[in-house]
Amino acid sequence: MNMVDAVPLPWVLAVAAGLFCIGLFGALSRRNTVGILLGVELMLNAVNLNLIAFWRYLEPNVVAGQVFALFIITVAAAEAAVGLAMIIAIYRTRLTVNADEVDSLKG
Amino acid sequence: MNILIMVIFVVLAAFTLAAGVMVVTVKNIIHAALWLIASFFSVAAMYLLMEAEFIAIVQVLVYVGAISILVLFAIMLTRHVTGEGVRQLYKRWWIALIVAAALFGVLIVPTVFNYEWAVQPSGAQISIASTVEIGTAFMREYLLPFEVASVLLLVALIGAIVIAFEERSTRRRVLTLAEEVEQRRQRNESLRLAPTTHASETSE
Amino acid sequence: MLQFLENIFGPSWIVSLIAFLISTTVILIVTPVTFMMMTWFERRIVARMQDRLGPNRVGPAGLLQAVADGVKMFTKENITPRAADKWVHLIAPLVATGPVIFLFAVIPWGYGLSPVDINVSVLFVIAVSSISAVGLMMGGWGSNNKFALLGAMRAVAQMVSYEIPAVIALLSMVLFTGTMNLNKYTELQGGLPILGNTLKDVIPDLGLGWFVFTPIGLVGFMIFFICILSEGERTPFDIPEADSEIVAGYMTEYSGMKFAVFYMGQFLFNYALSMVASIIFLGGWNFPGIPQLISIAPPIGALASAVVLGAKAWFLFFVMIWLRGAFPRLRMDQLMAFAWKFLLPLALINILSAALWLTIMLWCTGDCTQNPWVFTVGGINPLGWLGNSPVLRQLVGFVLTAIINAGAFFWLLNVNRRPAGETPADLARDQAFGTASLP
Repeated sequence: MNMVDAVPLPWVLAVAAGLFCIGLFGALSRRNTVGILLGVELMLNAVNLNLIAFWRYLEPNVVAGQVFALFIITVAAAEAAVGLAMIIAIYRTRLTVNADEVDSLKG
Repeated sequence: MNILIMVIFVVLAAFTLAAGVMVVTVKNIIHAALWLIASFFSVAAMYLLMEAEFIAIVQVLVYVGAISILVLFAIMLTRHVTGEGVRQLYKRWWIALIVAAALFGVLIVPTVFNYEWAVQPSGAQISIASTVEIGTAFMREYLLPFEVASVLLLVALIGAIVIAFEERSTRRRVLTLAEEVEQRRQRNESLRLAPTTHASETSE
Repeated sequence: MLQFLENIFGPSWIVSLIAFLISTTVILIVTPVTFMMMTWFERRIVARMQDRLGPNRVGPAGLLQAVADGVKMFTKENITPRAADKWVHLIAPLVATGPVIFLFAVIPWGYGLSPVDINVSVLFVIAVSSISAVGLMMGGWGSNNKFALLGAMRAVAQMVSYEIPAVIALLSMVLFTGTMNLNKYTELQGGLPILGNTLKDVIPDLGLGWFVFTPIGLVGFMIFFICILSEGERTPFDIPEADSEIVAGYMTEYSGMKFAVFYMGQFLFNYALSMVASIIFLGGWNFPGIPQLISIAPPIGALASAVVLGAKAWFLFFVMIWLRGAFPRLRMDQLMAFAWKFLLPLALINILSAALWLTIMLWCTGDCTQNPWVFTVGGINPLGWLGNSPVLRQLVGFVLTAIINAGAFFWLLNVNRRPAGETPADLARDQAFGTASLP
């Protein structure tokens, strides 16, 4: 009568892996920095899904899995705030948010 | 009942992955952010399916209520970046595709399906860690990480304000429509010129 | 409902499904009817305050006006601007209104009348109510209209800023009660004002131990109610749809049913948050006589409790209308300054008060040597004189937190006062001589 009996663990992990790889593709191939950030958020979500799946299937009576997921959510929030602030600052000076056009440091 | 849960899971998984694909492929960046919200939601539903209700609600609270709003706000503050008519992917995006697909198909999936997971036997009476236990854990075993996380949030808060702050004196004048059109035309021209100069630089 | 059906038919997933379908149907019928009543109520009351009559033609006292409006909305042409983003424009009202109806699923409507009983319902309310901001943003951006975008940006900035004091006010109550389950809040608020349930052996349960009578609850209620006004875009804070400035804000390009759905979401949001405020701060369905009625005849008691809770929520909604009749609109910078410089520090100090109250209540109760809450200074327990009397502890806690909260309130008022030379009198004098430097 619960998820553990109904769905095998590898399926959940495979979904998380798929989400991670989609996010990785987005982060690597998007030119827009906001798009890169969205890809990173997808990857963090996939990791969280993995952690919760491990917690539920392997050690449901230990809180560590949920606590780790909460820490990752915290870090994701901090990362999004700083990342978007940087994007806004870059846009102000360069009038673009495309990662390949912000190349002042390129030799 | 098991079949019902299975069907719900498969539907949620398909929706999550489809929304993820839309996030990385759609042209308009605002549409991408909206698809990202959809993906967050179905991940939260999967947490509910796995009986992690606290995490599911925190997911909605932080990702949908805060991060997505922040992303949408940032996109709207940086005008003209919704990306209509601009190339969204790098020219060599297929390399990223190969890397991601190889990671998924060659590395992760075989590992995940071939490893013998020590899953709890079904039917056994197990106690699931409750919200109260999470709270207690934060105040006892994980007190130091908890404090570090709060300091991290504070630092991120101050850092974001410092980075995005704009002195009133340095703020740009609001442009008229004519000036804006002119500026956009100039930028497009410089963009059109840019690849050739880059090519000449790299060929040296 | 689930309990009731399981008692008759035994547990099975079909029974669960049917129980939840019935609950859903009831919610989906009751909420639009509530919305229609609310529009009628608001129009009549505001008309009364402005010395008009208001809608009084359709049905008795104009009660069917809302039905007539509904028919009008249905038959209106549904316009989508050509430059708009069709799908975003279409989905936005649903995203703004759906979460609001979700809220009613976890709110207990009366004794034993909660559709879903989850452990973290306070957190659920906070999380789900923040989703509708996404809908507003979609509506504003998808209309491809400057006014709509401005309205949406204003609305979301306002919602996000006021969410923080609201969450912290609720957090102080969660700390105070030790639970995030909305069903438990009502049980904790029986008994007498201030003393709560501590004297229940001596005096019968009067159902008046509302948290709003404690200093922590009073400050929390004030903050939370102001934040509700702001999140529901009620009058002192109706900047997002200030019709004299930006047409109708994010709703500018909406017509017909899409507009009605947005409108419904807003009104129901006000009602849902009024209900939450009544449950957490105004004692839920506690009222003299209700606890006895519930213990004598549960079905009648449940009905009476639903009526009492509804009356409290409608009273809060009436206060919202009253404010609309009485106050002008704030300016954007005043709005932000109020949230960040006044409400937020006050809410944080309120958390400290709640922690102090908790310490006084739990300090060395029962067997002092076994209690994790004991802590001595030089071998002497500084709070040992409190003994095991909850009444004494409640009173000491009341006095201490009242002093702290009142001090914080007046201190913040003093910190936030206008600088010298900028009082209204000074500004008026400057203006009289033509040297005004108004922003």
